[in-house]
Amino acid sequence: MIELKDFSCKFDEKIVLQDISLKIKNHLTILGANGSGKSTLAKAVCGLITFNGKIFIESKNISELSLIERAKTISYIPAKLAVYDSFITLYEFVLLGRFPHKKSFLDYSKRDENITKQTLEFLKINHLKNHTLSSLSSGEQQLALIAQALTQQSKIIIFDEPTANLDPHNSKIIAQHIKGLKEYHQIILITHDLHLASYVDNSVAFLKYTSSFRATTRNLSYYEDPTKFFKDSTLQKLYGVKFNNLVPNYD
Amino acid sequence: MELNLTIWYLTMIKIGIWLVGISILIFSPFIGAVNLNISEILNANSLTSQIFFDLRVPRVLFAFFAGTILSLSGLLFQTLFRNALMTPYTLGISSGAVLGAGIAIKLGLSSLFFGVAAISIFGFFGAILTVFLLIYLSQFLKNSQHESLLLLGIALSLFYTSALMIIFYLGSAMQNDMLIRFTMGSLSVIGWQSPILLGVIAFILLFFIYIYRFELQLLSISDESATLKGINTKGVTLLLLIVSSLGIGTLVSISGPIGFVGLIVPHMVTKLYPSTVNHRIIKTAFFGGFFLVFCDTITRGLSTQSELPIGIITALIGGPFFIYLIISRSKR
Repeated sequence: MIELKDFSCKFDEKIVLQDISLKIKNHLTILGANGSGKSTLAKAVCGLITFNGKIFIESKNISELSLIERAKTISYIPAKLAVYDSFITLYEFVLLGRFPHKKSFLDYSKRDENITKQTLEFLKINHLKNHTLSSLSSGEQQLALIAQALTQQSKIIIFDEPTANLDPHNSKIIAQHIKGLKEYHQIILITHDLHLASYVDNSVAFLKYTSSFRATTRNLSYYEDPTKFFKDSTLQKLYGVKFNNLVPNYD
Repeated sequence: MELNLTIWYLTMIKIGIWLVGISILIFSPFIGAVNLNISEILNANSLTSQIFFDLRVPRVLFAFFAGTILSLSGLLFQTLFRNALMTPYTLGISSGAVLGAGIAIKLGLSSLFFGVAAISIFGFFGAILTVFLLIYLSQFLKNSQHESLLLLGIALSLFYTSALMIIFYLGSAMQNDMLIRFTMGSLSVIGWQSPILLGVIAFILLFFIYIYRFELQLLSISDESATLKGINTKGVTLLLLIVSSLGIGTLVSISGPIGFVGLIVPHMVTKLYPSTVNHRIIKTAFFGGFFLVFCDTITRGLSTQSELPIGIITALIGGPFFIYLIISRSKR
């Protein structure tokens, strides 16, 4: 369970999120316009940026957790893989998910290697294990990121726009994996992709952001039951775009 | 088939380099202005034996450890900042050490403090202060702007050079001669004190880089991914930078600046062994040693009036190489 209390956060000196209090008991999809602070929220939870207020995970204050403990609790999957080292192989990359579980200064154990092998087989990318990351397609890179998060074995997995760079076929593969993972992990999904969101079928938090020259207002609406959110009328009201039967089609 | 052939070529080149490297290490002490005769060397009382054991062998070891420190620091800087152009030399840390040593020479501090030459202490603090200055200034840069950090380093270098010019201007002819020789970089050492000191420091640097190899592997992906895996990135970066500037400061204060080794060797090792950073640490340490011993052997083998300073040789190779790296990077 994730709980935010009076949470505020800045990005580039601008207040992006202000006084948000929210309890996330189960899987959650966060939707909202560009610049509404979706990724900022996720990054704050992961400890990548500083914030005001309090965040509790499983009733523990995350500011009091060490970085290692935090890594064991949450993993974050970015939209796009950015790797400076152009020689790292898929296998080595996925093995890095075991870093928080590894004894300091020692090599990865046999168990770490086994978990990595199982994860690669589970995601059906074992045949790519000796390929360098830079030689993989965007879809395969997204799978590599998911594999690394899975070997990390954290309770919570945050997906930050997992299908942003993918074609429909790869989006489908990723969507099916995300849905499948709901059984074992608490999934937080941040996306613009309404097909993905409705297919994954989580409760929805919608971050609204209206800006005029006088003031910027932000608020958050929460939809416990996803069917109430994925209605053409609701979507039209929130996005200001006409929708005609948003049909999920990944099955 | 074609692929197998390239792998075969690469393997032969690698074996070749290791063999050449080791044999240069063995034969280098025999090369120099005075030809040494093996039976004479074994005669403990002869001048030949003295030249061999008190000048040549210490010098080869000194060159080897200097190469190790320079290359490992280069690899470290390139990994921490994820930029192939980062070295202590291009970031102005060597220049900081030179300025420190220059101040000591100008002030006429030739005495020893706790058995260490004043020039060394000033050089060492020049390097350390530059690292802290860079860390302080980098706070004002955006997280990913490592190119700007490089420019800061170059700006610092230019500033230090001007400060050194003032010292030249004010200095006496004798001081200036000492300073000019120092800024050219030289590996000539007498006795075993310097090579042993440098050997210990090279080992400490290798030890720290090696035990942090998995942290470095994550840092070479991105700062963000290292943080997400539970690494205190600022702490690790600071620790490794301090250890490395300890090495660079000590080396430069004895030998003067020797440029571009930290640029050439890590790049060469990456070409030969295209693998992730933790597999390249020990190879970089050895290849750095081989490379500098090789360059030093050339300077001693050339029959010039007096010996060519090593810093000039590495800069002559390194300058064009730096340009090549910049161009090949911007092509991508």
